[in-house]
Amino acid sequence: MSSSLSALLSGTFYEPGYDHRVEIIHQRDAGAHRRLESLDVALYDKDGALLATPAVDPGLEILDLGALVRSATDTRERVMVVLDARYDEAIFPYRPHHYAYFHRAGSTAAPLYYAVNATLGGVPDRVGATNINNFETYVFRQGPFAETYSLLLGCLARFVPVQAQVFAYYGSKRVARDVTLAPKCHAEIPLPAEDGGERLARVEVKALFRLLSYVVGRRAGTGDLVLFDHLFTYAK
Amino acid sequence: MLVLSNVKARFKPEYASGPFHASVVQYDAQGAPAHVYAVSLQTSTDSVELPLKPAAGGWGFVTVSGDFAQSDLYVTLSDGRDYTATHGRGEFVEEYPPLTRLLLAAARGAASLVGRTVPVFTRNQYVFVGPESRSHVLLMNLSNVTNSIRVVLGADGRVAGSRLLRLPPMGSHLLDVATLVDVATLVDVASLAGRPSDSAALRLRLEGNAWFNLYLVGAGPLDLAGPLSLMHVK
Repeated sequence: MSSSLSALLSGTFYEPGYDHRVEIIHQRDAGAHRRLESLDVALYDKDGALLATPAVDPGLEILDLGALVRSATDTRERVMVVLDARYDEAIFPYRPHHYAYFHRAGSTAAPLYYAVNATLGGVPDRVGATNINNFETYVFRQGPFAETYSLLLGCLARFVPVQAQVFAYYGSKRVARDVTLAPKCHAEIPLPAEDGGERLARVEVKALFRLLSYVVGRRAGTGDLVLFDHLFTYAK
Repeated sequence: MLVLSNVKARFKPEYASGPFHASVVQYDAQGAPAHVYAVSLQTSTDSVELPLKPAAGGWGFVTVSGDFAQSDLYVTLSDGRDYTATHGRGEFVEEYPPLTRLLLAAARGAASLVGRTVPVFTRNQYVFVGPESRSHVLLMNLSNVTNSIRVVLGADGRVAGSRLLRLPPMGSHLLDVATLVDVATLVDVASLAGRPSDSAALRLRLEGNAWFNLYLVGAGPLDLAGPLSLMHVK
């Protein structure tokens, strides 16, 4: 493989019961010239154990995560899906931006489209990340909604654990929590919707190494995902 | 509901201290400015929720301008029980000069005679429809000229449907993808393949004679009468 290729390391989480599709590339021209050079996919359980590395055709348009996970593992737990793509930057001047879609079978909730989180981590020398990009934030609505909130965090580091601080803001109060994730581990960090009568207003994540991160909202009762969005990254 | 914040200002010396003022202009489906809102934040960590008023056509978009960094903007939809959200960043509104407007109008008129447009800008977008879900595309004409946007929908390697839309300057259109394709057939195909609950992936190609962008709108089994989600596309 040419060393001049660019790399995009991104990831998402698959939960059983969802029809979950990921675009391999976003913009595809009619001649199908725009395709990845290669795509390595790896599946990890919450303890960082490698479940499978299923072969995926980099010329594929849409990756069916449900079919992929079911065929490669027998797990009934949440799975971290890591996408390691190589591409020619002459074809993708920005990046081959993965967008995705999911909907739970039988759910009355709306399906969600989202942008797969590009961590750029793991291979910073190849992706040319010259600034730290490990401070992220997200703002919440203040209404008394029934949904519950959390962060889904995954560690894509290869060798060392990642320490992170999660700050949740309620009015003028800041609630801090330390999180340490070993390589390839992932966890769902609850964010209580209220503290001391104040609603959750904002969350920040600060880490020593870029984490795979999503803000999550779940319907009370069913747990159906109603919010799944990456946080804002500023220093990049 | 819009949620506006300016957290990014903490990292920009020129924006480091408040107050921050912004003007929010809401355009209706025909591109007419329907409502204008003034928003102020005292500090960079404040956020404000701005409920949008109904406007003609039932859909549209807003522009935000002022002291805010081009970040920390959220659009939310709620059924009162839950809310869904997407975020936005900086966008362009193209202001074409008079001569360009004339040329574009002439070329657009000629192309529309044969059901086409002048494909100055092109976007490709995957959308999904299934037995319990629908997708809509909110198309936004971000220019000061009439924009003919041709939407071509592909499925299984063939053209499944197309439509030519005419959006006035700053106008918008909510396109129901299911009106371009026989959804029942697609769902039957998935069912025969042993995946009765799975959606079908469709490819949209959108061509416009002027700058435009889109949001994807996800709908559940009740379609637009039920909970909805939004995602902006970069």
